[in-house]
Amino acid sequence: MANEKDAGNAQAANGNGKWNVPTGRRTDEWSTALVLIGESQDRGAFTRFFRHFAPLIKAFALSGSSLSATHADELVQEVMLKVWQKAGGFNPEKAAASTWVYTIARNCRTDMFRRLQKFDTPLASDDFELESEDEESFVVLHTRRGAERVRELMGDLPPDQAQILGKVYMEGKSHSEAAAELDLPLGTVKSRVRLAIQKLQGLMEA
Amino acid sequence: MVKHHPPTDFLTEYAAGVLPVAQSACVAAHLSYCQRCRQTVGKLEDIGGAHLEQLDPQPVGESVLERVMARLDDPEPLRYATSETSETALPGLLDRLINGDYADLVWKRVTQSLSISYLKTGDPNHEFALYRIAEGGRIPEHTHGGSEMTLVLRGGFADESGEYHPGDCVVREGWDKHTPVALEGEECICLAVLDAPLRFTRLRHRWLNPLLKLRAG
Repeated sequence: MANEKDAGNAQAANGNGKWNVPTGRRTDEWSTALVLIGESQDRGAFTRFFRHFAPLIKAFALSGSSLSATHADELVQEVMLKVWQKAGGFNPEKAAASTWVYTIARNCRTDMFRRLQKFDTPLASDDFELESEDEESFVVLHTRRGAERVRELMGDLPPDQAQILGKVYMEGKSHSEAAAELDLPLGTVKSRVRLAIQKLQGLMEA
Repeated sequence: MVKHHPPTDFLTEYAAGVLPVAQSACVAAHLSYCQRCRQTVGKLEDIGGAHLEQLDPQPVGESVLERVMARLDDPEPLRYATSETSETALPGLLDRLINGDYADLVWKRVTQSLSISYLKTGDPNHEFALYRIAEGGRIPEHTHGGSEMTLVLRGGFADESGEYHPGDCVVREGWDKHTPVALEGEECICLAVLDAPLRFTRLRHRWLNPLLKLRAG
C-alpha cells in the first residue's frame, strides 16, 4: 500500500494495514489499575501501568519525529507523574483509561512544544480542563462503550482516512499542516477527517 | 440552551490538541456552556485514546521509571484557583485571562456603541478580544479577510443569520458581510477570535479601519 510509507511510525496501520483490536478485558485491567493508584497510591499498580503505557507515550512523543529521544523520555516522565497525581480524579465510568492517558499526554506535549519554541502564553493546557461535573449516567456508559467501539471500527477505515487521522491525532498536525505535508488541498484533508469521524461516530451513536 | 456550536472541524482539532491557543480558549469557554459539545469532544478524544493504544511501543529505559518513582512523593504543583469575588461569572479559563472584572479592563472605544478590549493569549496569529456593544447598539456592516469565531458571554445579538445568546458560538469564514445588533435590555459582551482584521464596508465607517489592525499575541 502506497500509504504505509507516508503513515510513518506505524500508528496508522500495523504492518498489514489492519488495526489490532484489543479486548475489553485489557481496557478494564488499566482502568482498575488507575483506580488502585488513585485510591490507595498503589506503587505496584503504577509500575504495571508504567510498563504498559510509557512505551506508548514515547511512541506518541516520537510520532512525526517532532521531539528528540531525550525530550521524548522527558515527556514520558511528565505524563507518568501526572498520571500518579491525577489518578484520584479518574472515573472509570466516564472515560477509558487509554483516552484519559491520551488527554494528559496531548496536553503535556502541547506544553512542551510551547516551552521549546519559547511561546509565551499565560495559559497552560491544564487551564483548559473543565471542572468535573455530573453528566447523566446513560451518557456516561455510552462514552465508555464508545471508546471500545472506536478501536474496533478504526480497522475498517480506508487507508487514506486512517493516515490523516494518525497525522492529526498522533503527529499533532493541524489540518492545514497535514495538507501541506501530503500535498493535498485543505478541503480534501478536512473532508477525509470528517468522513472518518462520521464513520466512527455514526456507529458510536448507533 | 445553547443553539450554535463550533463546527466539528474545530472540535476535532481541539480534541487532537492542534487548534491554535486563542481558538482553543474560545472552544473551551463554549464547552463550559454546552453539554452536547462536551460529549462530542469526549468521543473525539476516544479516537486519540484508540490511536495511542495502536502505536508501536518504543523502548523506555529503566532509568526513566526509576526517576519517576523517585519523584512520586514530590508535592503537586499548585494550580490557579478561580477567583471567588469575580463578578463576571465566566468560565474559569476566561476569568484567568480577564483577571478581574470587565470594568477593570482597558476598553478602546471604536464607535458610540462598540468598545473593544484586547486580551493576551500569546497566539501569534490570532487576535483575542472582548467586544462590548451597548444594548440595541449596532456594529457597522463589516467583513473579514479570514475567520472570525464569536462566543456570546453576556446579553445577546442578532445578525442577518440569527439570534445569539450566552454560550452560542458562531464561526464565519472569508468575506461574508454582516451587521450584528445587540439585543435590547442588556449590553452585549462577546469574545471574538480573529485571524484577519475586521473591515468596515460602508464608506462612512471605513476611516475607522486603520484602528482595527490585527492585534495578535
